[in-house]
Amino acid sequence: MARSWLEYKAPAWVQWCPGCGDFGILNAIYRAVAELDIPPERLVVVGGIGCSGRTTFYVKGSNAHALHGRAIPLATGIKLARPELTVIVAGGDGDLLGIGGGHFVALGRRNVDITVILFNNAVYGLTKGQAAPTLPAWVQTKALTSPNIHDNVNPVLLAFASGYTFIARGYAYHTNQLKELIKAGIRHKGAALIDVLQPCPTYNNVMTNKWYEERIYYVDEEGYDPVIRSADDMRNKLPRIMEKLMEFGNRIPLGILYWNQTRDSFEERLEKLMPGYLQAPPGTRRIDIEGRPVIDPFEVFKDRVIQT
Amino acid sequence: MVDISIIIGGPQGGGIESAGQIAVKTFVLKGYDVLGSREYHSNIMGAHSYYHLRVKERKPGSLTLPVDALLALDAESILTHYRDVRPGGVVIYDPAVKATRVDSIQPMAPPLKERVKQDLESRGLPATAEGALKAMESEGVKLVGLPLKAMLRKVSEEVKAPVTSVSKTVNTMGLAAALYLLGVESKYIEKAISLQFAAKEKVVKMNVAAARIAIDYVKEVYGEHETLPDGPHKGKLRMIASGNDVVAMGKVVAGVGFLSYYPITPSSDEALYLEKHKYLKLSEDVAEKLGYDRLSVVALQMEDELASINAAIGAALAGARASTTTSGPGYSLMNEGISMAVEAEVPVVITLWMRAGPSTGMPTRTGQQDLLHSIFSGHGDAPKIVVASGDHVEAFYDAIKAFNWAEIFQVPVIHLLDKYLASAMTSLDREELDVSQVVLDRGKLVENPGPDYLRYKITEDGISPRARIGDAVMNVTGLEHTEDGKGTEDPVAREQMMLKRERKMKLVLEKLPDEDKAVFHGDPDSEVVIVSFGSTKGVILDAMEMLKSKGVNVGFLQIRLLSPFPEDLVADYLSKAKKVISVELNLMGQLAFLVRAHTGIKVDSLITKINGRPLYDYEVVEGVLKALEGARRVVMSGGA
Repeated sequence: MARSWLEYKAPAWVQWCPGCGDFGILNAIYRAVAELDIPPERLVVVGGIGCSGRTTFYVKGSNAHALHGRAIPLATGIKLARPELTVIVAGGDGDLLGIGGGHFVALGRRNVDITVILFNNAVYGLTKGQAAPTLPAWVQTKALTSPNIHDNVNPVLLAFASGYTFIARGYAYHTNQLKELIKAGIRHKGAALIDVLQPCPTYNNVMTNKWYEERIYYVDEEGYDPVIRSADDMRNKLPRIMEKLMEFGNRIPLGILYWNQTRDSFEERLEKLMPGYLQAPPGTRRIDIEGRPVIDPFEVFKDRVIQT
Repeated sequence: MVDISIIIGGPQGGGIESAGQIAVKTFVLKGYDVLGSREYHSNIMGAHSYYHLRVKERKPGSLTLPVDALLALDAESILTHYRDVRPGGVVIYDPAVKATRVDSIQPMAPPLKERVKQDLESRGLPATAEGALKAMESEGVKLVGLPLKAMLRKVSEEVKAPVTSVSKTVNTMGLAAALYLLGVESKYIEKAISLQFAAKEKVVKMNVAAARIAIDYVKEVYGEHETLPDGPHKGKLRMIASGNDVVAMGKVVAGVGFLSYYPITPSSDEALYLEKHKYLKLSEDVAEKLGYDRLSVVALQMEDELASINAAIGAALAGARASTTTSGPGYSLMNEGISMAVEAEVPVVITLWMRAGPSTGMPTRTGQQDLLHSIFSGHGDAPKIVVASGDHVEAFYDAIKAFNWAEIFQVPVIHLLDKYLASAMTSLDREELDVSQVVLDRGKLVENPGPDYLRYKITEDGISPRARIGDAVMNVTGLEHTEDGKGTEDPVAREQMMLKRERKMKLVLEKLPDEDKAVFHGDPDSEVVIVSFGSTKGVILDAMEMLKSKGVNVGFLQIRLLSPFPEDLVADYLSKAKKVISVELNLMGQLAFLVRAHTGIKVDSLITKINGRPLYDYEVVEGVLKALEGARRVVMSGGA
């Protein structure tokens, strides 16, 4: 029996601008976790800094609000200490791809079971509209004094190159479709990226709702198959997958773009290396017996012991 | 009284560290206490490195110069250390390198070449290895040349392997010869070799053969040697460990569940040693009580130090005892995370192995330059605990205490150590690493927080009940916040939270025993008192004995807790002194600065050393004597 999404609505004033795409993402998160029946205290939303990071205060969970750019490593520490928790990272494009770009890549390499929801509006909203890493070159949004002379990074392609095993793109105003993508991302055992295109009505006057609506389409309507179950699948489907990952112009694909089901999550790798890790993970295992250590150095560190 | 010092020098990557460790093991097997330290360049292969050790009946607190024996495995070692052997000492070398000119040694640092050339020229000697050997000889050093090539051929015949495959045994030959000349019997050397190369039977065999051949040669050419009596510790079960090792051991004993790091000298070896022991099988009775039988630590190499500190914060929030380990440059990157751990009240332990800065500086050399950095790290009025260990034993227990304090007071704890202690190996007794009295205190960790849980509840002592992430609905944040962890800029709430966090620091000073704050060594009524912190403890204690024999009595206040600063205790001890001398390995006089800032007491003299080499006992003695003559600052320059 699924819970009501209202169980996840924290009693707080949501301080985003009217019409902000963040509202759509927040609603999709509420509904996704409700339908997955995740107990709020077992749900961990880790936010970065920026408008999107405030999500941690609006979703009832056992949440942490990280430093700018550091949501992924913080979430990694939480997840590896308590692998049984559901961990979601909510961060902006500046946070996850600019200041935190190295961590974004590292999460893919590790394939930790974390769902990254990228609030992608191509601007730094909270600091009043500077260009973010996903703003295309030569676009001049209203706060810029001259057109953007940086090229934009492609988050889904970067995620693919980094090793993410679930890559999807959603649209902030399509709450129902986005909810399904988030659910699939959470269910997936591994690093998941959901790149959410999100108009910023205050600062991005170029990539507006109208701009997106003219371009976006859903790949599943074309019978596109993103699922990799074998090495053969990878060989056969890769050209088409690459095409979708790279498409961003007059047409922008939405939906699950890549879903590799052949790779172990980091937690599974740790379990292989140290059987028993998942049963007694670092966060919850007892470390003492009646306040005393359970390790005697002369018994354990035998490689340093010497009988004279 | 036995007091033997040895330097073993050779090219990096040429087995110098193994030779040093064999020497340490040999003397420990023979019943002595040993202190050994490795000096090396930031280089993989070819640059000069050396192992410096000291052997005594009671644990040496310091290294010293000149040494009794120099084992020079190449020409550069002769030319680097020829002034560091005492008259009557011995140098073991390969006569084949005699003709090597200073100028032809590529790895040798140009300024050192110039100094050596000038010195040899002033003595009318050629700028060659032979010139340096002659300089030693003229000062009464015994020259022992080992025809290594011929001896290698013998080893090769004996173990029936080609010369090329036994060539690495030259170190062992030199070492065996040196140890024999110092009075050590072959059986100890052989046992140390088999311990060093434990599982590699072939390697053991060829090295033992090499040791015997070298000893036979020395006996034949220089005659039988007097045997050193066995030391007082013979028969005991002991440990030989580095500072890096004992900190890793302390963490495991403390129940560490998560260690993040990014490779950096000299902290990496700590992480490496912990990784080696990250997965342990527990005994049946322990397993039954704990409910699991294998203990696994997530030891994780991160993408950078930003990730290291933030991942450790995450793991700590989720209930693990979490730590990261680094050195100055990495610590600089962690600053923002440390500030967050203060604001968000996260119990995380940061082990900071200081090395010679600023910037990349001299990555493999020692220093105590990050004291102020550690205390003032993190922006915005961010109080934290900083504790400095004086030696291996303190380092072991402090690694455990750091976790207790982090969890009791819910603050980041910085465990301050340095490169010297990191790579210094010493002999340890079971009683010194006794965990039977160790308490693991997790503070106000709550198992069942309930539905109305408030992470930052205002309490009298400033400490809120702490639930793990995953056990209650909560918010943890680096924003200023209300009791429920929601970000706020309300002026009243802000003030309350700042004062709450400050109360915890006051509590630290109330709760910690004096011996964890500051320890006075020697006569508390001494008119002259040395203040210091960290790894200079041993060298100061040794120097105090030497000064005593010269009729100079000094006391020593070792400050262990650097933040919050135990100002009353320090003021108590220092206010009685007529002269206060600070010994610290930084030019700013960072400890002197802190003492004055907190107590108003002005340190009269500073004894410092900034060349990246460890402080030697005679340097402290010399410094104190100069300070007593009125010197304000004495900069010591010993070591190669």
